[in-house]
Amino acid sequence: MDRRGFLKKSGAVVAGASGVLSLPVLSSCAGEAAEVPSTLAGTKWGMVIDLTRCREGCTACMDACRQENNVAFHGDRRWDVHWIRKATLHPKDESAGLEEKEVILLCNQCDDPPCAMVCPVQATYKREDGIVLVDHHRCIGCRYCMIACPYNARFFNWKENPDWPNKGYPRRSHGVAESCHFCAHLIDGGGRPACVEACRREGEEALVFGDLNDPESEVSRLVAGGGTKRIREDFGTQPKVYYLGL
Amino acid sequence: MKRSTVLTEKNRGTWATVFAGLILLPVVLSVLKPLWAAEPEVFLEDPDARWEACLRDAEYMRYRHMDLLKEARSDVIRSGLKGGITLAGCGDCHHNRDQFCDRCHEKASVSLDCWGCHYYLTESELQDLEEHDGGGE
Repeated sequence: MDRRGFLKKSGAVVAGASGVLSLPVLSSCAGEAAEVPSTLAGTKWGMVIDLTRCREGCTACMDACRQENNVAFHGDRRWDVHWIRKATLHPKDESAGLEEKEVILLCNQCDDPPCAMVCPVQATYKREDGIVLVDHHRCIGCRYCMIACPYNARFFNWKENPDWPNKGYPRRSHGVAESCHFCAHLIDGGGRPACVEACRREGEEALVFGDLNDPESEVSRLVAGGGTKRIREDFGTQPKVYYLGL
Repeated sequence: MKRSTVLTEKNRGTWATVFAGLILLPVVLSVLKPLWAAEPEVFLEDPDARWEACLRDAEYMRYRHMDLLKEARSDVIRSGLKGGITLAGCGDCHHNRDQFCDRCHEKASVSLDCWGCHYYLTESELQDLEEHDGGGE
């Protein structure tokens, strides 16, 4: 046998043997990739914010959110994180009879979320029930989602969070982006978002939460009743947060 | 050129053996270490554990606990499946993080960043809590 023939034959033997030997490994990998059945499909969580019922100066929803989700507050606007916040809208033209208005802003939970679309590591994603959330184990802190979000709803943890009011829920380490996730951990346990509960406790019902796919739910009835608006619908992001009295 | 008097043609073999021995020393030591190293202490769990049975046997947990945790993590985060294994749930039986997690990880030089975000009692915190509870009753 010449050298060329020897190399050819030995190459064929090694390739064949490695193929046979790797079969069990490959088949075991295929078994692990089995999909976990999700219980989320079918629902589509949404929120209606009735601004006519929102009291001026009330911060119950924001405080409850901070307490529940350990949202970082450093007392410095450069580093503070807000999952839900109030902004004051100033009319451009006061002669038109428009007044200053306080508006509650939070992640709009878009049905077509730009933040999830641009995330290079799929850390931000949309769950089957429509909630957009961040897998902080996976986030690399590139902040692309913050640029993509047209609602400025995303924030970055520039520093380690000093407070940890709710030990039952993780806080975020420094270097990850985050935003409101409708308190997905509470919803999965059968509850409602902390801000909605806080608003109820205050005796108001400015925040209404429910399943948009269920025609009997309160949110569906409010949306079907007309008069609701979504912020910048022209973007085509299909927000699931509706406003009354905007 | 002046020829070396330390390394000569004759003692080249000896020097080669010395260098090879030095390089292999850590490997040999690590292989032989179990001969004189003490057995790791068995960490006894709190008898008032809430769970009656362990999740898996100790041998499995020693080598594969990270797989269990990662699986549970993707179940909860990606599919919203609750009620499985949680990191905080480990603390129901294994009350002491220093003993249950950190001791081995330190020994194996595995650095974890779980505790930056997830809460798990350390020994000192547990003691503080017990003292606090004792004073309150």
